[in-house]
Amino acid sequence: MKRLWRWLIPLAAVPVLVLLAYGFRLSPRDIPSPLVGRPAPGFALATLEGAPLELATHRGKVVVLNFWASWCYPACYEEAPVLERNWRGYRERGVVVVGVDVQDKREAALKFVGDFGLTFPVAQDLKGTVSVDYGVYGVPETFFLDRQGRIRVKHVGAVTDDVFRTTVDRLLAEAASP
Amino acid sequence: MTADLGYGMTLIALGLAVYGGVAAGAGARTGRLALIESAQHAALGVFVLVTSCFALLTYAFLTFDFSVRYVATNTNLGTPFYYRITGVWGALEGSIILWSWMLALYTIILIVRHRVGARELYPWALATMLGILAFFLLVMTVAAPPFQRQAPVPADGRGLNPLLEDTGMITHPVALYLGFTGFTVPFAFAMAALITGRIGDTWLVLTRRWTIVAWYFLSLGLLIGGWWSYHVLGWGGYWAWDPVENAAFMPWLTGTAFLHSVMIQERRRMLRLWNISLVILTFGLTLFGTFLTRSGVIASVHAFTQGSIGILFLGFLALVLLTALGLVAWRWETFRSEGELDSVVSRESAFLLNNVLLVAAAFTVFFGTVFPLLSEAVRGVKVSVGAPFFNQVNIPLFLSLVFLMGVGPLIAWRRASLDNLKRNFLWPVALGIAAAAAAFALGVRSLLAALTCATTVFVAATIAVDFTRATRARLRVGESLLPAMGGLMLRHNRRYRGFVVHLGILIIALGVMGSHAWSVQTETTLHRGETAELAGYRFRFDGLTAVEESNHFKVVGAFTVSNGRVLGVLRPAKKFYPQEQAPIAYVDYRLGLREDLYLVLGDFARDGSQATIKLQVNRLVSWIWIGGVVLTLGALLAILPERHKSV
Amino acid sequence: MNQKRKLIVGGIVIAGALTYMIYAGVTQSAVYFVTPAELRAAPVPGKAYRLGGMVVPGSLKWEPRSLDLSFTLSDGTATVPVRHKGTPPDLFGEGRGAVLEGSWTADGYFKATLIMAKHSEEYKAPHDQSEAGYRELLKTLRGEGR
Repeated sequence: MKRLWRWLIPLAAVPVLVLLAYGFRLSPRDIPSPLVGRPAPGFALATLEGAPLELATHRGKVVVLNFWASWCYPACYEEAPVLERNWRGYRERGVVVVGVDVQDKREAALKFVGDFGLTFPVAQDLKGTVSVDYGVYGVPETFFLDRQGRIRVKHVGAVTDDVFRTTVDRLLAEAASP
Repeated sequence: MTADLGYGMTLIALGLAVYGGVAAGAGARTGRLALIESAQHAALGVFVLVTSCFALLTYAFLTFDFSVRYVATNTNLGTPFYYRITGVWGALEGSIILWSWMLALYTIILIVRHRVGARELYPWALATMLGILAFFLLVMTVAAPPFQRQAPVPADGRGLNPLLEDTGMITHPVALYLGFTGFTVPFAFAMAALITGRIGDTWLVLTRRWTIVAWYFLSLGLLIGGWWSYHVLGWGGYWAWDPVENAAFMPWLTGTAFLHSVMIQERRRMLRLWNISLVILTFGLTLFGTFLTRSGVIASVHAFTQGSIGILFLGFLALVLLTALGLVAWRWETFRSEGELDSVVSRESAFLLNNVLLVAAAFTVFFGTVFPLLSEAVRGVKVSVGAPFFNQVNIPLFLSLVFLMGVGPLIAWRRASLDNLKRNFLWPVALGIAAAAAAFALGVRSLLAALTCATTVFVAATIAVDFTRATRARLRVGESLLPAMGGLMLRHNRRYRGFVVHLGILIIALGVMGSHAWSVQTETTLHRGETAELAGYRFRFDGLTAVEESNHFKVVGAFTVSNGRVLGVLRPAKKFYPQEQAPIAYVDYRLGLREDLYLVLGDFARDGSQATIKLQVNRLVSWIWIGGVVLTLGALLAILPERHKSV
Repeated sequence: MNQKRKLIVGGIVIAGALTYMIYAGVTQSAVYFVTPAELRAAPVPGKAYRLGGMVVPGSLKWEPRSLDLSFTLSDGTATVPVRHKGTPPDLFGEGRGAVLEGSWTADGYFKATLIMAKHSEEYKAPHDQSEAGYRELLKTLRGEGR
């Protein structure tokens, strides 16, 4: 007599495994941002060199807004080359990367920019007001804005090639077909 | 250069482990000894390689080799020598290396000990060990490589997490991981038993000491963790039901259950299925713990960084659980010839109840830990349950367990007669009730405290009853007192060394109860020269000084403590590390058997004229550490070989 | 058979008791995780919340003598006034993230019983004025010591 039901024993583990796998869909560090889907708060700051930098000038482009600092090792060190590489790869296609340097010293920030050869515009948020507008908890945090200037995705932690490309490709595709 | 060398060695070790696992499995199937020997050589090779990796990483730490990314992240030029060594396993990647090294070490010991004695089970156990080792090496190459090049090489590293700069951090992870990995060996033998169909007692006898070893280290790890939390984190507690703590506690609970249920199987041929399941569960929980702390799925105070490692661990957990439970299903028919329970009032059922309660406690801890996930999956809201939940549900369970600790060892096997019960329990029960009455008379009004007093006194009395009886029996044969008592410890090691562990648990229980029921605390701001008072102690604020250390500087407060006469000066501090965005509090305390004085510097005026402090008088906490020493001593004694054959 | 039945009954009793204890435990100690916007949308006084947000710069007031701490927590869209009795933890400060446990009061503020500072490895809240500030502090205290 074959008892088939005994093969159900291993199935007992399945619900637990599914529950744990579900955990990957959410990250507890992902403090939900109510800003997603809303227009990005505008700002007018100065770059590290002192030139004015205004978010509104980039309206119509896909904007990757990255909050970082030179003292944030290693996460910011990890993502700096990724941002630079993709900025170069995508800039011809209507994508702009904007860095916002948070609570940093100017010399340290300039050294960081030099070390990694960053060429995208970087603004300095000395008072931290822009960070508050965006509800930034810490660095690095990155916001992806669509061509209409709405925040579409908030990413916490270092940006990877994968995150950058999939997100930006999606925003580019939908903007092309209004 | 260092990074490439280390990475290369990891890769070769991975290849060898995979080969060894396959060879051992094939050797076990075909019975070809050459294959098994080849697998042993592979295992030795893995051990040598992993040891070299570990040594290499340590060397990189000692020489500030910032071209290795892991070194740059976890040390800086100011890190003292001592902590450069502990920094090796201070974060994720290093902890995996340590873990792999321990697994490899256990594999070698397994080969040395069981190569000859256990012909049928050994090859499969070896294959399982090497398979698990291969997984950890895979993690070391793919998901969390400790050897990764850092370019551009930073001039200085980020530095070790300052909270880890503590002596407890050397021993805590080492003990904890030795405990975690130790359970791999019983699991490997359980798998071997299932594969070969020899689910009788052989695998239990082979793994009994291994289990005690694992349990010993896990207990030690938990206790040191508690001590670290108490004297470093500065919140005045030793256990916060944080997911990471829970992760280590769950396998401890099921491992404890296993240690007890083994005895029923040996004695009564019962619970074979239960024992196999407990081992699978315990090993599964160690993996789950690792998954939990390293995947970032559940938020915790001291979680490691997250990454692809979580998915890898989840996949492995799934593989292990499905395979193991599949094997159980496959061997289902062989589990059927079980002994039967004769009576509900018997040692078997006391042990059974102990097992059920321990597993229930493990389940509640598990449930509470994954509750945020569960509620979000089912109801879509982020809800968590904190310490009150765990305390509320577990306290009755633990009290019952302590009570059973008195009943189990003395009640008769099979069927306890009324006479047996009276003979063993009359006095202990009377003493327990007397203790509760005495506590009440002394002014204890908390039901829980009174119950704990009664239970612990009851259990201690049962141990005393048994011990005197056995000593008396020996005295009658003409031994003198001390050798008779010593002989009990050495020869009947399981029973009497087990009692030592139980005694340790009792002392811990009293400490936990006391600290919960009677600790007091307050918070206040003092000007220089002012005094705060708590529980009869006076704390006078004498001033602040600044001190510069190699990798930080600190602001130290001086507080003179007195209770009628001056007891001493407490110097809590705040440490400022350049790489940290905020200062780290450094607690000062004065330990005592009755109560600890515990002082944290919260905030201070920059001119040093004023300081805000948190004061606590924590009652009976020291007994937790004393009980811990007793407990681990008992477990250590139990690991020693039994000597009764030589007599 | 009789023994077996007793065992089964015993098992059911234990399982039942455990289920009840867990259920009671959860209902009594569940804490809801919300953002300031979510709390503002539907505040229930007395309910246990865990509130996550950022301390608005300029809003922090700390009164060491009375141990009164008050500040405003924001998530970018909504703000919540918070009061707490006790020293702020080490990682706490203006412009930084914080997670609070406590409840909403009928008087229109969030009463925090616990302020949590998460300690994670790479994801850190922005730096203080950093070393410059510490050095200055060191100097002051040294002067005091002499």
